Amino acid sequence: MRFVFTALLLLGAAATAARAQGNYEIQVYGADTVAPRNTMLELHSNFTADGQTRTIGGVEPTNHAEHETIEITQGINAWSELGFYIFTSESSANGVQWVGDHLRPRVRVPEKWRWPVGVSLSTEIGYQRAVFSPDTWTWELRPIVDKQTGRWYFAVNPALERTWHGPDVNQGLGFAPAAKISYDFTKKITGGLEYYADYGSITNIASLHNQQQQIFPAIDLNVSPDWEINFGVGIGPTAATDHWIVKAIVGRRFDWSRKNKAR
Amino acid sequence: MAGAALLAPAAHLFPEFPPESNSLPRPDYRIEIAPIDWEIAPKKKIRTTAYNGQIPGPLLRLTEGSPVTIEIVNRADHAEIVHWHGQWIPVDADGSMEEGSPMIPPGASTRITFTPRPSGLHWYHTHAMGSRGFNHGLYTGQFGMLLVDPAANPGHYDREQFLALHDWEPYNFPSDDGSLMVQYASSSINGRQLGHDAPIQVSEGQQVLFHILNASATEPHWLTLPGHHFQVLALDGRPVATQAKVETLRLVPAERVTALVAMNTPGIWILGEARAAFRNAGMGTVIEYAGRTGKPQPSSQTRLEWDYRAFADPVPAIHQPDLTIPLVFTSRFKGHGAPDQWMINGKSYPEADPIVLKQGLRHRLIFDNRSTDDHPVHLHRHSFELVSIRGAQLSGVHKDVVVVEANSTVEADLLATNPGNTLFHCHQQDHMDAGFMALFHYA
Repeated sequence: MRFVFTALLLLGAAATAARAQGNYEIQVYGADTVAPRNTMLELHSNFTADGQTRTIGGVEPTNHAEHETIEITQGINAWSELGFYIFTSESSANGVQWVGDHLRPRVRVPEKWRWPVGVSLSTEIGYQRAVFSPDTWTWELRPIVDKQTGRWYFAVNPALERTWHGPDVNQGLGFAPAAKISYDFTKKITGGLEYYADYGSITNIASLHNQQQQIFPAIDLNVSPDWEINFGVGIGPTAATDHWIVKAIVGRRFDWSRKNKAR
Repeated sequence: MAGAALLAPAAHLFPEFPPESNSLPRPDYRIEIAPIDWEIAPKKKIRTTAYNGQIPGPLLRLTEGSPVTIEIVNRADHAEIVHWHGQWIPVDADGSMEEGSPMIPPGASTRITFTPRPSGLHWYHTHAMGSRGFNHGLYTGQFGMLLVDPAANPGHYDREQFLALHDWEPYNFPSDDGSLMVQYASSSINGRQLGHDAPIQVSEGQQVLFHILNASATEPHWLTLPGHHFQVLALDGRPVATQAKVETLRLVPAERVTALVAMNTPGIWILGEARAAFRNAGMGTVIEYAGRTGKPQPSSQTRLEWDYRAFADPVPAIHQPDLTIPLVFTSRFKGHGAPDQWMINGKSYPEADPIVLKQGLRHRLIFDNRSTDDHPVHLHRHSFELVSIRGAQLSGVHKDVVVVEANSTVEADLLATNPGNTLFHCHQQDHMDAGFMALFHYA
């Protein structure tokens, strides 16, 4: 899971303030990329059951907000893919609103190199409207390391974030790691924990109070190679974190090579 | 080789075994197992283990019914064993530790003597377990072709050509059904990637007899030669009832095809995998007609069809079995990061219950595959006759390897005429290593 983009929350005037949550795409990345001639279409649905209730710094509150994100990822070759996001927010007060778009190229160490762990590198560039994030242009660099051994799966995403336009532009790189551990209970049911955090600037780590820390007990359903289903409930214990989030990912893979299957 | 044109055998593609000269009792041939850096293409070397410093190992050409003694020297750093695949020979020569053949320790040697039978295209290969590092078993270069000529009428053709298919640089890959499977970074024919071996020179009007072996550890392969047909004469070395012509050959691991090709479409062609991904990985060789130049043309074949029934009797002649032996194939999930565990009748080897054969009786083996994988199953020291595939009857196709496709049933009749322990297993190295074996005993 991951938070697609973050914005500075003006909680008081602390220099080490926490960052506000986007809650648009909450996912820990695995090292795999989408296969060539394949397209993955995903819908990320995130509902903040208990979140920020006030408008702060012109940013909409997250409490009871429903965020729907469409992610389209095209496999390019055996070691790269390109993702595109459409972020939306729905609330009773404002209806459905377009939030922004991101592009996310990613490369990986090919399987045939036989590394002991999966490794890939994602970078994400995008725009979001100021009413949802004062940092309107952002960039992220996300190393990804994972390992599946028997029934256990581990992944870490020590992501770095940078604001190109907005209040955080002078804050330099932010550190927003994510991690996952899961266990295959059956061939179809995998359960585990996902962890997301935002520690603020790497040169000026936020206080624990102002950090985002969130744990999601989550389930993955492996019902078909063509479908990806993930469901989780997030608990945020720090003041800067939305306290309860329910999230779901439903993905469908389209294999355009099947009519002339080569391998 | 019934049906082949009557011409003298031509030069072999591989050099023959060097006879041993200075020991008693004197072996006819000698196999030396040793590590090797094998160049499958210029500047692309594979560190592996091979026979007599070459891949494939030397062609061993024997005569049906004439006893042969072979010395096997193990210069590898691990115990090895050589299996004589397709031969109806005694247990002590067969080369299977599960049956009781001893492994050959590092630095040691052994001698085996057997009388080759039946005739046809067979092979010899390591029967050691694979390993998670893919450094053992059939992931290596330990294989060679064994051609047993009939005692009379060895067959005639303009020339023979031997092709051994293999895949290299294996790695684990998550399969669609949720478990790990093996894939490969490169492939070869006769140890060379496409474009890096001398072309096969032919002349218009020639009849070329191809002896083809799939020596891959796990991959089935589809072969085509654009503009030509393969007239299939034998499968797994056994003559077929109907010598059908096909555009594409399918060989699952350990299968052999003997096919005649009339060279009647001049040009420069790629005889290779029908699927571009494998061809691009190196599985192909160039067929060059005399006087022709140009870029080798690949297959555009997209229909991959194969049916053993095409080579069967026109009207099935089915015998009643004396005994029926159900063999149910299932798997147990071990996690998305592990290969499945495989079972026959609910148990994995070596826990699997032994299966009892009665000498001289006809046993109907019912291969009931209740898994989502195809299985190329092999029976040692015997052949069997296919009786039905997915309920459709057939006869006249005798084999020692048959693919049982996912969620399907194949029936085969076995005449129990070669007493002794007999190993039955899936010939996919990763399945075999994960328990897909059972031992047959004679009562």
